[in-house]
Amino acid sequence: MNALAGFGIWAQRNRWIWSAIGVLVLWLVLSVVTSRFSLSSLSGVILSASFLTVVGIGQMFVVTTGRGNIDLSVASVITLSAFVALLTVKGQDANLAIGVLAAILLGLAVGALNSLLVVGLGIPAIIATLATGYVLATATLLSNRAIPGFAVSPALKDLATGRISGVPIMAIIAIIGVAATAFVLRYTVFGQLLSAVGQNRAAARLAGIRNGPIIASAFVISSVLASLDGLLLGAYIGGAFLEMGQPYLLQSIAAVVLGGTLIFGGSATALGTLFASILLILIVTTMQIIGLPPGAQDIVQGIVVIFVLALAGRQALARRASVELADGDKDPMANTEAHAAAARPE
Amino acid sequence: MSHIAVVAQDIATAAAPSSAARPSVVSLSGITKSFGPTLANAGIDLSVGAGDVIGLVGGNGAGKSTLMRILCGSMWPTLGSISFAGEDVAFSGYDTGEAQRRGIRMVHQELSLCANLSVAENFFLETPSDSASRPGWRALYSTRARAALDAVFPGNGIDTDAEVGHLTIAERQMVEIARAAATPGVKLIVLDEPTSSLDLDRSKQLRAFIRERAKAGLAFIFISHKLQEIIDIATEVVVLRNGRTAWQGRAAEASIGKLVQLMGGDANPVHQHAVAAASSEDVLVRLSGPLTAELGRDIDIMRGEIVGLAGLEGSGQKELLHAIFIPGRKQHGAVTRHADAGFISGDRQKEGVFPLWSVLSNISIGALARRPALGVVSDRDTASRAASRLRLDDRRFQSNITELSGGNQQKALVARALVADTPVILLDDPTRGVDIATKQDFYRLCNEVARGGRALVWHTTEDAELLACDRVLVFSGGRIVKELAGEAITEQAIVGASFAQSTDRQASTTRNRTAAARLGRRLVNAAPFIGLAAVLAIMIAINPAVASTFGLDLLLMPALSLVLVTAAQMFIVGGSEIDLGVGAFAGLVSVLSATLLYDQPWLGALALAAAVAAYAGLGGVIQARKIPAIVVTLGASFIWMGIGYALQPTPGGASPDWLSAPFNWSLGFVPTSIVLIAAVALIVLVIDRLPLGVVLRGFGNNPAAMIRSGWSPPRYALVRYLIAGLFAAAAGLSLTAINTASDINSGNSYTLLSVAAVVMGGCSLLGGIISPVGAVAGAVTLSLIGALLGTLSVSSDYNAATQGLILIALLTLRSLTADRRSEP
Repeated sequence: MNALAGFGIWAQRNRWIWSAIGVLVLWLVLSVVTSRFSLSSLSGVILSASFLTVVGIGQMFVVTTGRGNIDLSVASVITLSAFVALLTVKGQDANLAIGVLAAILLGLAVGALNSLLVVGLGIPAIIATLATGYVLATATLLSNRAIPGFAVSPALKDLATGRISGVPIMAIIAIIGVAATAFVLRYTVFGQLLSAVGQNRAAARLAGIRNGPIIASAFVISSVLASLDGLLLGAYIGGAFLEMGQPYLLQSIAAVVLGGTLIFGGSATALGTLFASILLILIVTTMQIIGLPPGAQDIVQGIVVIFVLALAGRQALARRASVELADGDKDPMANTEAHAAAARPE
Repeated sequence: MSHIAVVAQDIATAAAPSSAARPSVVSLSGITKSFGPTLANAGIDLSVGAGDVIGLVGGNGAGKSTLMRILCGSMWPTLGSISFAGEDVAFSGYDTGEAQRRGIRMVHQELSLCANLSVAENFFLETPSDSASRPGWRALYSTRARAALDAVFPGNGIDTDAEVGHLTIAERQMVEIARAAATPGVKLIVLDEPTSSLDLDRSKQLRAFIRERAKAGLAFIFISHKLQEIIDIATEVVVLRNGRTAWQGRAAEASIGKLVQLMGGDANPVHQHAVAAASSEDVLVRLSGPLTAELGRDIDIMRGEIVGLAGLEGSGQKELLHAIFIPGRKQHGAVTRHADAGFISGDRQKEGVFPLWSVLSNISIGALARRPALGVVSDRDTASRAASRLRLDDRRFQSNITELSGGNQQKALVARALVADTPVILLDDPTRGVDIATKQDFYRLCNEVARGGRALVWHTTEDAELLACDRVLVFSGGRIVKELAGEAITEQAIVGASFAQSTDRQASTTRNRTAAARLGRRLVNAAPFIGLAAVLAIMIAINPAVASTFGLDLLLMPALSLVLVTAAQMFIVGGSEIDLGVGAFAGLVSVLSATLLYDQPWLGALALAAAVAAYAGLGGVIQARKIPAIVVTLGASFIWMGIGYALQPTPGGASPDWLSAPFNWSLGFVPTSIVLIAAVALIVLVIDRLPLGVVLRGFGNNPAAMIRSGWSPPRYALVRYLIAGLFAAAAGLSLTAINTASDINSGNSYTLLSVAAVVMGGCSLLGGIISPVGAVAGAVTLSLIGALLGTLSVSSDYNAATQGLILIALLTLRSLTADRRSEP
């Protein structure tokens, strides 16, 4: 009993454990119920999950900046990046460096645009990234017309689909990325500042933090990761197609929320995003095995997101005050004044 | 003991003339309210008779607000009782609603009007019962508002149909006072600083009105820092000090000098340090310009001293702190800072703590904020050392900051400023809500910090705290009007200086918007219409056939669905949320209507009803769990899509004949599509003009004020989503009818377009604004972009980018022309 209580407290600080348990349980159930499920099929799941993890990590940075910030442009960035890869690499290993550079530049450009709109002009993140997504959609259509063919550089293909002693290279990349992110969040000044900004923007400002650059860098990280992910995803599927990034929009947000990162910002867990990505892919795979129609898969994913959010809502309620205050960031005096009058016994 | 005796005596002398013939309205007795160890009210008696005008005065922190909250039912006392006309009422059943039913109305200092509604509509929100859903209810309330305003403030010239947001602060104050005064059945009106933003004439009118209504038996409690007004208007004056009644008597027996004396002058509760010679004459901060104009010289803040900022609340003390923290911008050169500054806010929850973190992390962030972002977080020794100086129990370092008491949280914030190691430390009312013992600790600590060679600038709302300062700057009307130093710092001197200068300066600082910004805003508001006209003009110029009935129908019929989705989105945005699933929902309804509804009408109708109910339920969940609507609706979009796919994996189905009928008739000369689109706009307009629409907009703008007026948030969240769901369902039906088939993906593009159309139409994403005509024009414009590009022989590939760029351009314009009234 005591151990259980101890675990409860530990799990509150390590929210990734829930998605990890979810993965374990679901996988065990699948292995028992269907004879088809084995370690090797799990590695297939993990390979698919790796692509989701990379976008999810980026999305996590944006969500952590608080105020309900979400990057809705990731889907378009993935698609466009896959097309840009086709355009620049042209199936030649020799062009790979240019391709990677192009992907990074694309990510930086989109990230910078999003930051300008969100931080510079104060446009709500959802709308700003939505609009950016529109513009990118056109760029995608144009590059779709311009691509010479669906040739993928062999080296890139190896990277995206290859395995080292049975372990997908992509999974290794994703895990290294997750480890690096976890380190950045936990042990670097940037990670701490990001968390501070996400928890309480006014307090962060008064503690001497410059909020703008922190928030901007989260958007840049998100776009760059999505762009690199698109490059690899294109190599994985052997080309590119319109709307290929679309599933990653909800899934990346779902992976972030399911993994235990707080939707109101301030607390992120890279490990949770990794496990939640695996869990989501596992759920989709399960439904495919059971033979549910594609529609049912969408329904389940939607329900999972809403359910997890509603459950996490209690935490949010407690934090509501500090979130609302973030809205007063632009207007510290008027707001504190009003609050002072309302909140203190005179 | 002695002062109670004095009170009793005073009551005895005052009672004879004032309360002989007058029936009692409400009477509070023995009111005690404790916040932890602090007594905000201690045994206060207050009896209000019909026709009384009670002037309630007291310094900051004297207990006036607490007493008034208890009177108005928004707070329960620890001890004490309340009775109405002699009838005792239990506090357990006494709340804001009950207080209002018993005829008590309060005009709050922070205004509680919905800025996006008209004056008349705000009158409706306060007294909705006898309104009607009859047409012309607005005119009724407009007349009522007019009469109420004229009764109090003759010649006010306020347009009762004008939006409150367009009124000056003084006008809003007048509306609020008139609204309270006009409430049917009102017996007692509490006015909290009613004249703070009124000029002298209006203030005189108000006082004349009070006098007149008091004769007719209405009672008033008048709270003001302007003592001459109190003496002028009140029949009786109550002075509170430290939560107790310091004096109560007839106004005729009071004088400004006497009241000031009664309010101030507690025997030095604060540890007063020996004035040490400043360790060095380093100037850390210099104040100059208009700020110090009244003193005629600059003020230098030196290393090693504590400078207090005094004055009535909101006289510019906070602004100075923020200006020192981030100099430049507003008061050009008025503030120059020569060293780094740290900030400690007394509003810990809003501006202080990071609620997810431990005490230690909350402290060490102070040092981290000033280090390069890519550095690695190292040991936290400095944080521990700083915290141990504060007598914070180091076993608690690892516990969450929110588990600490307010006083200990405040100590942690001081520790944060210490590890940041800034020579200047700014304190914004740091001891707010902190118990006495911790306060003493805190003063000692601050003293020590200052002696260590830092400069502390201390804004406080408790005048007694200023006695611990080396120097005190007294503010009035945004300027420093007096500088007190050393022995000259006494509570009486401070109170005297803040009151002496309390003129009507604030009234003049109203709106001064530049003409350019106004023009820009007009342009942005007209954008959807200009856009629509331009698009149509270009298309007709290139292809005159467009101008025919048939041509217009061909172009505009597909826009109808987007118009309907936009209407749905507009109601959601009106509640300051965004629905990312509304297009998918329309797609689902389309599928339902082309399959189930076509094959089995009853089952289909049931399914449609269930879908709309589910959609409304979503709004309930969002409100009840306080979760972000964007993510929930994005998740819901997958559910809608999934159901649609499951029902109909590939496009198909058929439209029921009766459904197609409304889209296939013709007036001959007017295109059907235009009639339908106009009808949608009209329906939205009607809903919006109904009392229901007013309530919804009220919630979008100022939920706190709505709750104060007695409206239920969950109910109206459900209603809001129900209305949106009905419009989205109509959009789905129109998709089926227009395409005579269904495709679950047919609605998808509408989600983002609807947000764009709503923004284009002039709705604020912050909520509270519904502009049906603009949004409809925006929706039509956006849906025509594709056709326009086709006419211009631009590839339809540019469709999305054009829409995206329009959205960005509009939002940028909005952001640039928006009111920048409050930049720090």
